[in-house]
Amino acid sequence: MNLAMIRYVLGWALAVEGAFMALPCLAALVYGEAAGWWFVPVALGALLVGGLMAWRKPADTTIYVREGCVATALSWIVLSLVGCLPFWLSGEIPFFLDAVFETVSGFTTTGASILSDVEALSRCMVFWRSFTHWLGGMGVLVFLLMVLQMPGGSRMNLMRAESPGPSVGKLKPKVRQTARILYLIYLGLTVLEVILLLAGGMPLFDALCTSFGSAGTGGFGIYNDSMASCSPYIQWVTTIFILLFGTNFTFYYLLLLRRWKQALGMEEVRLYFLIVLASVAVIVLQLCAGGAAFGKTLRDAAFQVASIITTTGFATVDFNQWPQTSRSVLVVLMFVGACAGSTGGGIKVSRISILCKTMFKELHSYVVPKSVRKVELDGKPLNHEVVRGVNVFLVSYLLVFTLSVLLISLDGTDMVTNFTAVAATFNNIGPGLELVGPTGNFGHFSPFAKAVLCFDMLAGRLELFPVLLLFYPPTWKGAFHRTRRAAA
Amino acid sequence: MARRKAGAARDGLNIILVGCGKVGVSLVEKLSQEGHNITVVDRRAAAVSAVTDLYDVSGVVGNGASYRVQQEAGIDEADILISVTASDELNLLCCTVAKKAGNCATIARVRTPDYSEDADYLKEKLGLAMVINPEREAALAIARLLCLPTALSVTSFAGGHAEMVRIRIPQGSKLDGRCLRELGKELVGPVLVCAVERSGQVYIPDGGFQLASGDALTFICPSRDSKQFLGRMGFETHQVHNALLIGGSKAAYYLARRLLAVGVQVRIIEADMARCEELSCLLPKAIILHGDGTDADLLREAGILQAEAVVPLTGIDEENILLTLHARAVAPGAKAVTKINRIMYPEAVAQLDLGSVVCPKHLTTDAILAFVRSRGASKNSNIEALMHMFDNRVEAIEFLAGEGSPLLDIPLRELALRDHLLIACLFRNGRTLIPGGDDCIHAGDRIIVVTTHTGLRELAEILA
Repeated sequence: MNLAMIRYVLGWALAVEGAFMALPCLAALVYGEAAGWWFVPVALGALLVGGLMAWRKPADTTIYVREGCVATALSWIVLSLVGCLPFWLSGEIPFFLDAVFETVSGFTTTGASILSDVEALSRCMVFWRSFTHWLGGMGVLVFLLMVLQMPGGSRMNLMRAESPGPSVGKLKPKVRQTARILYLIYLGLTVLEVILLLAGGMPLFDALCTSFGSAGTGGFGIYNDSMASCSPYIQWVTTIFILLFGTNFTFYYLLLLRRWKQALGMEEVRLYFLIVLASVAVIVLQLCAGGAAFGKTLRDAAFQVASIITTTGFATVDFNQWPQTSRSVLVVLMFVGACAGSTGGGIKVSRISILCKTMFKELHSYVVPKSVRKVELDGKPLNHEVVRGVNVFLVSYLLVFTLSVLLISLDGTDMVTNFTAVAATFNNIGPGLELVGPTGNFGHFSPFAKAVLCFDMLAGRLELFPVLLLFYPPTWKGAFHRTRRAAA
Repeated sequence: MARRKAGAARDGLNIILVGCGKVGVSLVEKLSQEGHNITVVDRRAAAVSAVTDLYDVSGVVGNGASYRVQQEAGIDEADILISVTASDELNLLCCTVAKKAGNCATIARVRTPDYSEDADYLKEKLGLAMVINPEREAALAIARLLCLPTALSVTSFAGGHAEMVRIRIPQGSKLDGRCLRELGKELVGPVLVCAVERSGQVYIPDGGFQLASGDALTFICPSRDSKQFLGRMGFETHQVHNALLIGGSKAAYYLARRLLAVGVQVRIIEADMARCEELSCLLPKAIILHGDGTDADLLREAGILQAEAVVPLTGIDEENILLTLHARAVAPGAKAVTKINRIMYPEAVAQLDLGSVVCPKHLTTDAILAFVRSRGASKNSNIEALMHMFDNRVEAIEFLAGEGSPLLDIPLRELALRDHLLIACLFRNGRTLIPGGDDCIHAGDRIIVVTTHTGLRELAEILA
């Protein structure tokens, strides 16, 4: 295994994180908060250590699939461990594991929190907490791909490990250009949201943090009631933008190229909006039948559905109090997740679509034996490898899910809490139901359960295999032996 | 509408490559190293994903000649379309469609004699920028070697007026232990030593460099002087009188035609009767033998022991290599040239005592690369030819100096050239000269540069 290259990538990731820590420092300066000082040593330390690690570029810059996955998974762990230091050192989150949980939740854009009183945090801490969403949304390594020089296939192996979806499509021939376009679209949409939120009378700080939270489909609220106290205008703007960030970014690229027909024909995007509309309709019908006012119900239903399907996790209402059907719809949406190639988590709409088509293909083969059919997406036959990959993903997903529920049930909390806590972290959403509902938090779990949930968040964000690979012994077999040639 | 943006050169050109075969992959490797934006097209999904997994390029699965597929591959913004599928017809069709669909330069690989005879006509009528025929290029390279059998390789520059020749210095040669500077006094003709390979290392030598036996020496000189020089240094310089070609492939046809034209007797062994008959009509002066070329008895009967040159041209590399080794064993005096199409293991092949090796894939790649580099460069210089030597560590590039190049009319001694770079040869008004410090470059000159800096795109880049 090319350990030197993994060291190099990790070094760069650390240095970039250190550089981005300048932003909360700035926030601390603006608000004159002493807690901001804690960012300075951590940022400088990250820059120094990262700089040293990335100082010497390895002679062999090839990254194979294994190195790509390991480098990605390790860099996310290192980023989280370093990113949590300011919270812990400043004493605002007194327990180290809690700080790790909060930061992992930030980078993986989960938005699950252990804090019961968010408003007690100093502003620079809140800013950093929300900014981790923005960084984690598109991925730090995708950012690095714009800067680093390495052989072509190697870039692809890194990008594939970090990008969500059954198969990674490039918008442009080169990974570097693709990464740049993705970040430009990401930045453009974020800025647009900030402007629209400002227009709604939101203070700049709040607008920035809310935009980071929705851009990464993260969901750290900056108020104790998440977004319930915001004006209807702001709630609608947020609803629309989280839906936009949950859409496959290829859609925007096609729009930019003015290929309207191709963009609007994207099967996944159409299905995604269809699911959103249907879910909103079901919830509105049920709530209105219970006698609620239509206007507010529509807004709440749309907000909650958008927030859950895109795996953001903002809330404007305590949906824990909703009737069972509506609650169940939300739980189902947790698993569906956003589109591939977006910043959202979950199983992804395209995978669901492929799985359903595979099922129908199987059914068809019972009716007409020996009939040949290919599973298609966007009118193109899918490679057998992709279909197989999706099936294996689902199996692994269910295994990890079941095991996690089992492990955190050791805490003794009720079934719904445990089930939705794992669903909410594994799918990178944030709030679940009952104890971990929108008004609750994850603070009451034991340290062991928190560690399991941290693992779930990372595994969910990186789509299982890069993280699972770290725990698979053959990955490390022979990794630390110097080959005879390397020694010579 | 001006589709091509001015700044496109720096970001690399947009290139569509149809066909992910041997040549396709080797082109992708070289072109993506030079920073171009490449989209590959092939019918076989597996071939496309193999390339996109290995290199930083995007891929489209489909028929490259279809307008829709070309659209998807981005023909609107493409600068160059290169078609190297197995079928000549498909290649020509791809280029024709691309020419109409987008505003790009097109390059087609055409191998069958049916089309390549009228390559110039096709090029003009179909608006192709380049028609490349690897089999013919390989045949010409082999023919040059048979005309100068002592050489390990012979490459022609300046439209055939200058030659770059590589030889190995044998034990007890006049060159053994000599300094290049003292050699200079004996050399009456215009000859320049550009590179020496010694135990795996490549040197671009200066005057103090001392030669030794076993070195592989590369020199450049006007084509007609190379024999004279080698003769003076005690090398055998006669061209071969007869040649035995094993396998009646397209390359064999091109080679036989070329050799017959300069008066070499040609025998061709071919296993397929129909092909034998076809060849005997096409090449009435050649002797066509029907039989299995890998049969040692048949080879003896065909006169391998008397042959002055043996060239295995079967479609299978392994057979070619074994046939060469056999020929060198039974007929040590004969010149053997091995054609290798795939070369998956260059290190292993280098260990074998094969003598001269010709690789059509590399010839094609180099020719296309020369074209692509010129496209990316400014207007005041142009790359006419390009050759990779010593495992791609050294490049020999022929530039055409245009009006407005910043190097014109300055004595060479005043130019601050890069290290490890040599201006090996100037070609002006039909004359080849080996430049000294007082010579200047004029507009319209062709300049051959030998350097270890790979990737030069224009003449001005030879300056430090």
